[in-house]
Amino acid sequence: MSKYGLTQTVLREEKYLVEALKEMGYEVEVHPEAPQLNSYYSEQEAKAANIILRRQHLRGAYGDIGFARQPDGHLSLITDELDEHCGYGTKWLGRVQQLYKEKQTLAMARARGYILKGREVINTSEGQQVRLQFAVRR
Amino acid sequence: MQEKTITITIDAQGKSTLDLNGIAGQSCEKVFDNFRGGDTVKVERKKASYYTGQHVQQEKSQR
Repeated sequence: MSKYGLTQTVLREEKYLVEALKEMGYEVEVHPEAPQLNSYYSEQEAKAANIILRRQHLRGAYGDIGFARQPDGHLSLITDELDEHCGYGTKWLGRVQQLYKEKQTLAMARARGYILKGREVINTSEGQQVRLQFAVRR
Repeated sequence: MQEKTITITIDAQGKSTLDLNGIAGQSCEKVFDNFRGGDTVKVERKKASYYTGQHVQQEKSQR
């Protein structure tokens, strides 16, 4: 083994985030200029996002859910606090990141000529893991 | 010659482990960066073969 690393996914590329959300079954709006999100309480501070899932398409959600482009280029999750307890919290974001990372990795590998040798889904006590194995072209 | 393989395991919390086999030195860094993407590195560890590969390359270039 030459090297080992542990990384935390950072959402940066809109394309893969949109693909991940669509795979989860959501209708996705993409806006270059971030419009405001609808929230449960009208007196809540208005938040804006570039990628939006409208609440009418989200089961049990109180407000819209969005991802807003930050000055450093990453996309951060914007939710109503109520929705973090309604299935759109850390666990949900983890699933989004997992799908995003898989799509980003496969696209990068294709573009750079790595050969996909296998894809495996492993069930663990902390949820499913996706294992991708690649070979380097000689 | 050992096959050069990369194994990436992505968990349900959005964390990934990257395991690079049979790749040494500068190539290893390049492959690691490709697969890391723009992600935050939490742990990074070089294995013995990382350096072994470099020694072999240096010995060859001295001949």
